[in-house]
Amino acid sequence: MKPARFRYFAPHTITEAAQLLDEQGDEARLLAGGQSLLPLLNLRLARPSALIDLNEIQALAFIHPRNGGLVLGALTRDATLERDPLVAARQPLLAEAAHYVGHLAIRHRSTLGGSLAHADPAAELPAVMLALDAAFTLQSSTGSRTVAAAAFFKGPFQTALQHGEILTEVHLPGLPPRSGSAFLEFARREGDYALAGVAAVICLAEDGTIAQARLALCSVAPTPLQAIAAETVLRGRHPDNAAWQAAAEAVVDELKEPPADIHGSAEYRRHLAGVLTRRALARAAQRAERSHS
Amino acid sequence: MMEDDFIPVRVSVNGVPHRLFVEPRRTLLDMLREDLELTGTNAGCEHGSCGACTVLLDGQSVRACLLLAVQANGHEVMTVEGLALHGRMHPLQEAFWEKQGLQCGFCTPGMLMTAYELLQQNPDPGEEEIRSALSGNLCRCTGYQHIVEAIRLAAQRLREEAEAATPSGTTA
Amino acid sequence: MTTTVSERAWIGKDLKRREDPALLMGTVTYINDFKIAGMLHAAVLRSPYAHARIRAIDTSAARALPGVQAVLTGKEAAEVIGPVPAFCAEPVVEHAIAVEKVRYAGEAVVAVAAESRAIAEDALDLVEIDWEPLPAVTDALSAMQPGAPLVHENLGTNVVYDHVFTFGDVDGDFAQADHVIRRRLRWPRATAAPLEPNGAVCAYDPARDTMEIWSNTNMLNSASWVMSSMLKIPPHKLNFYPMYTGGSFGSKHFLAKVIGIAGALTKVTGRPVKFMEDRLDNLMANDSQGPERIYDAELAVTKDGQFLSLRLRTIDDYGAYFIFAITGNTNMMAQITGPYTIRSVETGIKAVLTNKNQQTVFRGAGSDVGNWVLERLVDAAAEQLGIDRVEIRRRNFIQPDQFPYKIPTGNVYDSGNYPGVLNLALEHFDLDAWRQEQARARQEGRYLGIGLATAQQRSTYSSTEFWFHNPAPATGLNSTPESVRISVGPTGGVTVTMFSPFWGNSPETVAAQVVAEELGIDPRDVNVTYDSTAHALPSAGPGGSRMTVMLAGAVHGAAARLKEKIFKIAAHMLEASVSDLELVGGQVRVKGVPSSSVSLADIGMRAYWFKLDLPPELESGLEGTFTYDHPYTTKPHDDRKDLGVFYPIMGHAAHLVAVEVDIETGAVLFKKYVAVHDVGTVLNPRSLQGQIRGGIAQGIGLALLEEVRYGPDGQNLTSTFVDYLLPSASDVPAIEVYHQETPSPFTAYGVKGGGEGGRMVAPPAVTSAIEDALRPFGVSIDEMPITPEKIVRWVKEAQSRRQGQSN
Repeated sequence: MKPARFRYFAPHTITEAAQLLDEQGDEARLLAGGQSLLPLLNLRLARPSALIDLNEIQALAFIHPRNGGLVLGALTRDATLERDPLVAARQPLLAEAAHYVGHLAIRHRSTLGGSLAHADPAAELPAVMLALDAAFTLQSSTGSRTVAAAAFFKGPFQTALQHGEILTEVHLPGLPPRSGSAFLEFARREGDYALAGVAAVICLAEDGTIAQARLALCSVAPTPLQAIAAETVLRGRHPDNAAWQAAAEAVVDELKEPPADIHGSAEYRRHLAGVLTRRALARAAQRAERSHS
Repeated sequence: MMEDDFIPVRVSVNGVPHRLFVEPRRTLLDMLREDLELTGTNAGCEHGSCGACTVLLDGQSVRACLLLAVQANGHEVMTVEGLALHGRMHPLQEAFWEKQGLQCGFCTPGMLMTAYELLQQNPDPGEEEIRSALSGNLCRCTGYQHIVEAIRLAAQRLREEAEAATPSGTTA
Repeated sequence: MTTTVSERAWIGKDLKRREDPALLMGTVTYINDFKIAGMLHAAVLRSPYAHARIRAIDTSAARALPGVQAVLTGKEAAEVIGPVPAFCAEPVVEHAIAVEKVRYAGEAVVAVAAESRAIAEDALDLVEIDWEPLPAVTDALSAMQPGAPLVHENLGTNVVYDHVFTFGDVDGDFAQADHVIRRRLRWPRATAAPLEPNGAVCAYDPARDTMEIWSNTNMLNSASWVMSSMLKIPPHKLNFYPMYTGGSFGSKHFLAKVIGIAGALTKVTGRPVKFMEDRLDNLMANDSQGPERIYDAELAVTKDGQFLSLRLRTIDDYGAYFIFAITGNTNMMAQITGPYTIRSVETGIKAVLTNKNQQTVFRGAGSDVGNWVLERLVDAAAEQLGIDRVEIRRRNFIQPDQFPYKIPTGNVYDSGNYPGVLNLALEHFDLDAWRQEQARARQEGRYLGIGLATAQQRSTYSSTEFWFHNPAPATGLNSTPESVRISVGPTGGVTVTMFSPFWGNSPETVAAQVVAEELGIDPRDVNVTYDSTAHALPSAGPGGSRMTVMLAGAVHGAAARLKEKIFKIAAHMLEASVSDLELVGGQVRVKGVPSSSVSLADIGMRAYWFKLDLPPELESGLEGTFTYDHPYTTKPHDDRKDLGVFYPIMGHAAHLVAVEVDIETGAVLFKKYVAVHDVGTVLNPRSLQGQIRGGIAQGIGLALLEEVRYGPDGQNLTSTFVDYLLPSASDVPAIEVYHQETPSPFTAYGVKGGGEGGRMVAPPAVTSAIEDALRPFGVSIDEMPITPEKIVRWVKEAQSRRQGQSN
């Protein structure tokens, strides 16, 4: 189980990386944390002609506060997301979800940008991006553009990234006061890919009703899925079990054909999505209430 | 194979500096085992699922099968061979021995490195924390319990050592 | 029944394993760490099809790749090596590299030897094969249908073995029964998956026509003559070296294919060749998958809960080859009636070939299945008759005064105290408290379950089990010896030499412990080494929970021979009579006169270098060798109404388990796990507990997680550790282990083998616990693994059944 041959480049700047990506052509791939790519290389399921390693680009690894929210460099490691005090303070959902990515030895390498660009429908962080209404900066040798998370994920392992583009930054808006969030997933074993996962954000109004809910799921559709119908169901309701049940039913209705594999059928994943939705919303609401008191 | 397929790597392993040339496709695991003949780190799955090849890169646990050797350039690697000092086992190794936290020994180097990092971060982990920290390291022999017990024992001894090393009179 | 443990200096002590320091410091040489000058690396191209004919293979581009030294197709390999050795009577031929057609996805098609593994894999990419895909059969029931594609055309059928064994008056006993408990039960295909895959380095010397083989095979000494026909080299010209083995669990008995591939490549290149399986190789083609069985099982029971007779019919999916024949089914006949006084038994076995990797043995070797099937029936009987699960077992236990106890198949149980084990388990578990907790939880809408299994763990196999299923006069192999050599050097140092390898157990510690016990020395002063087959004495190697029993017997015997000479020399030196001497603390002394003594060093020096000062009848040197044969085995009867004694060293265990089931997600959480094992005299408690806990973890894996899966087209869907799920530290609970010691009357010190018991007893206990948790829904569990998805489905189905009834 050894990789096929490839050329290797370790640029120090984003510009250099973008140039290399142009030069090396369609068969070149970017290497971020490598925790999904290396297994594919070892198994020879991926055979890039060249790897452009982003790990030496210091400018990609940062976490900055901005407008009550956050801007994160794409090379931010999951282990950093999990522990960073600024992330914990401003977007605890991201920290909570990052903990579910594999195991610590994986998270020391795996990166936020890598996970988003890889766009595995089972991955946690893409769903979190939908729940947090994120936007991504995509940079190429000719310029850069910003794409909303909702427009980024196109299919299993497919994104809005064009060849020559590098996902460099993640922008997360801040949450209003009286907000709470929760990430929950169910996997066969700790650290395995989820059979279903739910990222929930609840923002409460002054009167204690739900001003806004954001809900996104992983591993139940070809892409991470924002549960818009369920979000609509929740708006203006009292945060109680009936609301969570109604949202769960809306989620289950919304899931057309969840993926199926030997670890879980489509039907089971759909069922889990409902259960986890209920539990995640209840937890998020509890946290929203606590944040206020 | 042409010489220019190879890339120079400078890496410190267990405090010993090495300079070598490797193919880009060589994993850190194969570099350690084949080029540096540090065969204590074992290849269990080579796809990042078993944890047998866990080593520390700049003090952080990583899976050596999921890193390219060239990516270790300029970094410090610590392997199981670096745990014992002057032929004396590290307290973790001693505790694994006492509690029989191993049977076939194949997963053991990865377990030790994972446990080493855990105790660096958390000198007094509870059973649940230990099990969670180990959940990415598969062992097919022990059922894990003796490993958990060994880590608790080592933690206790390391805490005692640290306390003994603290100058007296610092606490009122 | 207590042993005189207190009189023993080392037996029964928690000794740290002497194997461990090297393992802990990473200095042990596993096969993948082994290098030899000039060594090439092999890689294997595997079939993408489950069933296909090979029309043509073009290897020219692969051969032309720089760094490639040899490329072998199956046809080319067959010119230098023969088929894989097989123990089956049926003409099922397997080659290390497939010839003409492939019979499972992952079967080897081409092997390459190159300067590095990466180059060898590059070469595989360049091989072109013209395939003719054939329809595949991937389950036993379809494979049995007339007109099903044939895995081996020469057999004319996929049902390779079909026989019903009847022991006692089964029909009569069933006629007398008040109740017949019937279940259809399914045992899933699992695999050993040791963390270290299989590997071999073979070095052929054409000048001498000899081959040296370093590999992680467990059965070195059997391998050397069994492999001879495959390697086409006489057995005495093969030399197998023992290697430290990174786990086996039955999967590394011979490793014929790995050795065959490296052997063929060294023969054609003239250079040493390493073939090391990677994880894909191992999970797709390890030739050691576990049973995959469908049982129709019936238990005849009287109205007061007495078990009379057992009737089993099984269909067992053996996969594409059959090298160990139906050993997975014969094995369980050693303990088929469990700890119970069942007086007759009938077992029908249909072994079916399919397009999957073949079944051989995995820890438990089929006795694991037998325990689960029987315990499922016992739980079902309790439920159906309204008798408590503990009580119904008590009513049927063989009693302590009934041993040695002959079961209907002819096997004999040496000793036991099953009520004692159960009582100990109940005492530590606190069943009443858990039942109260269960009732309380149910009021809160939580589902707790309590599981129980009381089951056998046979140990110390006899080789008659390899062939007694064949209806012919009893002429097969019947030896399973184990040997050691103990030598005392001229300065008194004691060395034990073994001829079977370390495979994750503790043979060195056992040997040192026993020799220390016998010579009155400290085990830490004993050196333990291994020797290659060129120098070996008869030794069958680890398997069937035999090593502790057999090594203890061999070391005990060799020490006795050694002591004889020690005493003769000492008597000569001390001018005393042998009968007046004793060996204490490494000194031979005249009883009652401590001042009159000689040390082992004195005796050693005398023995090696002072021939003229020895008793004249003694030769120079000081060593004892001993070949310990199976302590109690007999031949099967020609009519096979009695299989003879083949697994008499019988352990027993009771497991009590509490779980909580989240019926919404299907998650199972362990709340308490108590295991009481009786494997006779305990040699090293900590080591035994490690074996038990490790075995239980594997049993939990089987019950909840593990299954080798194939797609409808025969693709292996579990060829990585992402998909074949081994239990992790978060999946296995802390397990309380206790021992009862009922010594065997037949073995040295009364020890029994304990290596497989945990895995043999955990599956029924865990199943029982989950079924109990789901009792409010009336779910009965007839299959494993019990996945979260199945739990959710069963609960939903039960709820809709209820709704259907109430409407």
